Amino acid sequence: MQSSRRKFLIGSGAVVAAASVAGYKETLGAVATLSNKGELAKDSIYFNSPNAEYSYLNDEFVPNDEFKISATTCIGCTTQCGVRVKIDKKTDKVVRVLGNPYNLLSTDPWLPYNISIKDSYKLLSQSGKFETYRSNVCARGNVIFDKIEAKNRVLKPLKRVGKRGENKWKEMDIDELISEIVNGGDLFGEGNVKGLKDIRDTKTPINPDEPIFGPKSNGLCLIGTTHEGRFKTVIHRFLKSFGTSNFMGHTSICGLSMRAGEAAYLGNFKKYPHLKPDFENTEYLLSIGTPPGQAGNPFKRQGKLLARARTEKNIDYTIVSPMQGNSDTIAVGGRSHWIPIIPGTDLAFVMGVLQIIINNNLYNDKYLRIPSEKGRAALKDASWTNSSHLVIQDKKGFGKILRDGKVPLVLDASDNALKSSNAVTQAVLDFKGDVEFNGQTYSVRTAFNELKENVNELSLEEYSKECGVSVEKMQEVAKDFTSHGRKASVDCHGGTMHTTGFYTTYAVMMLGAMVGNLNYKGGMSPGGGAYKDYVGKKYNLFGYKGKSKVHATRIDKTRMAYEKTNEYKKKVAAGKNPYPAKDTWYPFTNALESEVIMNSAKGYPYKLDCLLAFNTNFMYGTAGGENHIKELISDPKKSIPLFIAVDPFISETTKYADYIIPDSVLHETWGAVHAWAGYQTKINTLRFPVTKPRQDSFKNGDSIEMISFMIALGKKMKLPGFGKKALKGQDGTWYPLEKAEDIYLRVFENIALDGKPVPDASDEDIELSGIESYVPSLKSICGNNWRKTAYVMARGGRYQDIEHSYNGDFISHRYKKPVQVYNETVGMKRNSITGERYSGTIKFYKQRMVNGDTFEKLFSKDKFPLTAFSFKSNVLATPDTSSAKLKEIKYTTYVDLNPKTAEKFGLAHGDYVKVTSGDGETKGFLRLRHGVHPQTIGVEQGAGRRGEGAVDVEINGKLVKGDIAKRSGVFYNKIGLLDPSRPTALTTDFVCGSNVRQAIPVNIEKIKYTKEV
Amino acid sequence: MGQDNSRRDFLRKGLATTAFAMLATSQADAMSLQIPGRDEKNPKYIGQKGKHFVMVLDLRKCIGCQACTSVCKIENEVPEDQFRTFVTETELGEFPDVRKGFLPQLCNHCESPACVPVCPTGATFKREDGIVVVDNTVCWGCGYCISACPYDKRYFNKRTKTADKCNFCAQRVDKGLLPACVETCIGGARVFGDINDKNSDVYKLVSNFSTNVLKEAQGTRPQVFYINLDSRLEELSSSTQSLDDIVKAEEGFQREWMKARGGKDNG
Repeated sequence: MQSSRRKFLIGSGAVVAAASVAGYKETLGAVATLSNKGELAKDSIYFNSPNAEYSYLNDEFVPNDEFKISATTCIGCTTQCGVRVKIDKKTDKVVRVLGNPYNLLSTDPWLPYNISIKDSYKLLSQSGKFETYRSNVCARGNVIFDKIEAKNRVLKPLKRVGKRGENKWKEMDIDELISEIVNGGDLFGEGNVKGLKDIRDTKTPINPDEPIFGPKSNGLCLIGTTHEGRFKTVIHRFLKSFGTSNFMGHTSICGLSMRAGEAAYLGNFKKYPHLKPDFENTEYLLSIGTPPGQAGNPFKRQGKLLARARTEKNIDYTIVSPMQGNSDTIAVGGRSHWIPIIPGTDLAFVMGVLQIIINNNLYNDKYLRIPSEKGRAALKDASWTNSSHLVIQDKKGFGKILRDGKVPLVLDASDNALKSSNAVTQAVLDFKGDVEFNGQTYSVRTAFNELKENVNELSLEEYSKECGVSVEKMQEVAKDFTSHGRKASVDCHGGTMHTTGFYTTYAVMMLGAMVGNLNYKGGMSPGGGAYKDYVGKKYNLFGYKGKSKVHATRIDKTRMAYEKTNEYKKKVAAGKNPYPAKDTWYPFTNALESEVIMNSAKGYPYKLDCLLAFNTNFMYGTAGGENHIKELISDPKKSIPLFIAVDPFISETTKYADYIIPDSVLHETWGAVHAWAGYQTKINTLRFPVTKPRQDSFKNGDSIEMISFMIALGKKMKLPGFGKKALKGQDGTWYPLEKAEDIYLRVFENIALDGKPVPDASDEDIELSGIESYVPSLKSICGNNWRKTAYVMARGGRYQDIEHSYNGDFISHRYKKPVQVYNETVGMKRNSITGERYSGTIKFYKQRMVNGDTFEKLFSKDKFPLTAFSFKSNVLATPDTSSAKLKEIKYTTYVDLNPKTAEKFGLAHGDYVKVTSGDGETKGFLRLRHGVHPQTIGVEQGAGRRGEGAVDVEINGKLVKGDIAKRSGVFYNKIGLLDPSRPTALTTDFVCGSNVRQAIPVNIEKIKYTKEV
Repeated sequence: MGQDNSRRDFLRKGLATTAFAMLATSQADAMSLQIPGRDEKNPKYIGQKGKHFVMVLDLRKCIGCQACTSVCKIENEVPEDQFRTFVTETELGEFPDVRKGFLPQLCNHCESPACVPVCPTGATFKREDGIVVVDNTVCWGCGYCISACPYDKRYFNKRTKTADKCNFCAQRVDKGLLPACVETCIGGARVFGDINDKNSDVYKLVSNFSTNVLKEAQGTRPQVFYINLDSRLEELSSSTQSLDDIVKAEEGFQREWMKARGGKDNG
């Protein structure tokens, strides 16, 4: 048996048939001798399948009492789709996950909100309207619930017993753990560790030379994950109460360059909004590095809408990417196009396309001439831009927009006179020269003029040479893109996580300004928003007495300009050139978790006392983290004296923690989330434990997880906002905060009451959605509103009906601020290292370090002939490694290479290879595919793990073995680069500071396979 | 690695292996051609009278996401490393003129199934509503049907030690619900229903579009119909090997798995 299998595995296709025959013969021989019976299946025909959750035959609906089905949110990836979970009532185990048909992230069209739960099941049956309301779950969401029962899950609080990172732990009591971290002391026999009560000094400056940096309480920093439904609670309730400004998510290792570039385009660095194509109605989609259906957010919704648009509607789409993603299929013929491109050169491509559009007047002239909201309203457009606004070019006020008070001035196209933009409907678009205002002459240029000059900085041939896409191809794209009126859309995402990603995104979005696609059906939309949740009609759940108003400098040096520091001021006062600063500052970036550990190690802006890691895995997710952060985090003296993690698993990051507090998993958790973008109506998706959390509980019965831990810690430290009078009603009533449900049932209640309150849930709704166990709490917490809250819970959230999506040709939930063809905030700021001004509009840059040294110069083609990129997996996701089942769907990942390149390098399909960058290396098996650019190496993200069950762990002296399957695959981020122009730092987007994982120059060579541990 | 790189088309299955390895069992009652359930007219043996269930796979809507592969394993408790359905992901052509091809595959519930007549026990049969099923209390695991299936869509269930395959989620269909893979299909490529019903989506699709079946020449008359099937995908579906299997062998995954199962080599 073994030999025939072996033959099959390494043989060519023809051997398959032979192996089958061999197997068949062996079976015949085996029948007479073997008496080995198999396990008896549960059913003769249905095998081991669980019974159906209900039946609907001959118009009769019969629920199956064996199961309860409850609606909640899947948090297997960042899309956070609404799902329904089928649970065996006897065992309280999850049996299956189904889509939630009310939820637009799983369904389109989705059910009208007032449909009863019973009818929702009927509609999804054979005799209902299944094809209309089919609701789904992705490859991940369908299987990852085995994480709940994973053998390597942290179920009790852990304290390290060895050195940091040795992965040796002992279990301990949660109250003792909290005592230790609050009081500090010699906790590990390695000397005194400052406890949280001493860290919380809200008076003494953390750096006496820089009072602007704030008090010592900023010594606590929290790194979280995506906004998974609990993060906001922790920020507002715990961190602000504690008195720290240091909280960050995962954006700087995720898609920050995209977010920052879009925030620039949309003129809002506070809320960081972003746009998505209206996939369903767009006629032409140009996607730069993010093939819908391969990945992206919302993953399922994009895939679904694209599939429908290309089958039933009229879409033509072009994906510009180093890899051909799953948005392509031969089955749709000529509707789908792929333009292969070298990673990191997408900016050159887009600049080329923009040059063609602008120089050939292919843009929407009338749209771009609208200078104000009043002009927009008069011309009945859906949005407007500042392209006609005048940017001052004089030394004094350089970069500012010329205004009369707050209102920008423009040149009226009808008479060339300088007027308030509010008085003009069509302004002069392309102007450079002097204007007079209030008796003063200003040298100005329109935003459009600067854009035009910048896109013409290089010739088309030069742009083409940079990106490897022909001029003809760029011309074709420019023509196609501008041939669909407003129904042309653009997209980009993780492909922009390179050093020039900010301007790349800004440029990609600028294509939209050329056709005026914002807020148009078939164009771009900012998403439909959400009902009010934390701060709503009944409660202000962010408000409490004693909430700190600390405005401090953050550890990541974001949200602040270097020019505000005493370091700058002192240099200027001493007549010195203030540049370079000691290190980078990021005035319009929101958060950079990838800088935290190194900044604390450098003591710039200051040193941290404690890191609280909430379900984050920056060691795996940060390009360069494994090689360059490891050393800093493993020594408590270097960067983080006290490291507390809240995590259900021991990951590549939490293995360095001093303490691990268990957390709930997936369908055991609380939360309230919004959707990202790519939808047009309000949506709030809810999470509440639908199966009892498996980990230990506090003495009050609440399971130990992030929120209950925060409450216990807050109460122990007597922080404001916890305990008896903690939660604020809008009518001045105060409510207690003792358990997680005290907050979350009230969040749900706010959602239920927003605008026109939802109806009351019927008893049948409650029963069929399996939320009977919540009724006592609902009654005691929500009082008269308990059935309304139950209505929202039964449906797993609140969703606006689909008919509110559009208003004629406009998207109903319009983005109201003007598109920034020139962003004044960006144009007024400087790079703190070089002192160079950032360009206020898009501009071409080659891949570079912060100081401007180009990759071309630093990494010769001889040494690093290829460019590496990672791409999002449609199956794997970093937080789902602990699911063994998911590894059955996708066992491993590969180093993907074009066969032509392989031939040149003497490599073959299945070879074991080493990929080397300037600062790291990674290994893996080679997979040849024609769908990657020949000058690149691609790696699917999410495998090659060294945590969450992949490696051996010792708990209470007992060894828990790691699994080979979880280790298998390529750990891409090991090739991350350092920025030699900064003191100990990883390579970043030189404007917004994102961690750079794309466009890394590499070499590849065949090596002998050795098992990695 | 002994790989055949000369092929113009690259197939990266990365998923189910078409390999099956068989060990037979001899169950006491396996020699009988009587099928008690069917003889007693038990509905799960007979199926839904007057209906004829088929599946249409509209390949224009398939995004190769493997949601179907995934849910099938859960819904049907398919053993480790075995699959009732999966989607092969293929590249057609050479750079830069290369296209993606996805081929969702499952039991074709053939009108003239090759698996049924070879079954010595009668354990595998076609219900009146077209669904081909296996009675695992009758099947004795001889493997004839597995070899006979021209589509390689039967496997030897490691746990029950009987032939096993897709049964259109009869446990759901018999209750008026849909097969799990259809429910969870993100692109809406999988459409299921009664083709005898002229108002059904499957009837409309088959009537309005030209459809193909796999390996038509076999004469098995499959009841799974494909829209916009590129014939090159069909050729590749049964003539490839999985790079995953090579990696698993190198990494010792198979051995780890066997150890976890108590050291028994079940397949």
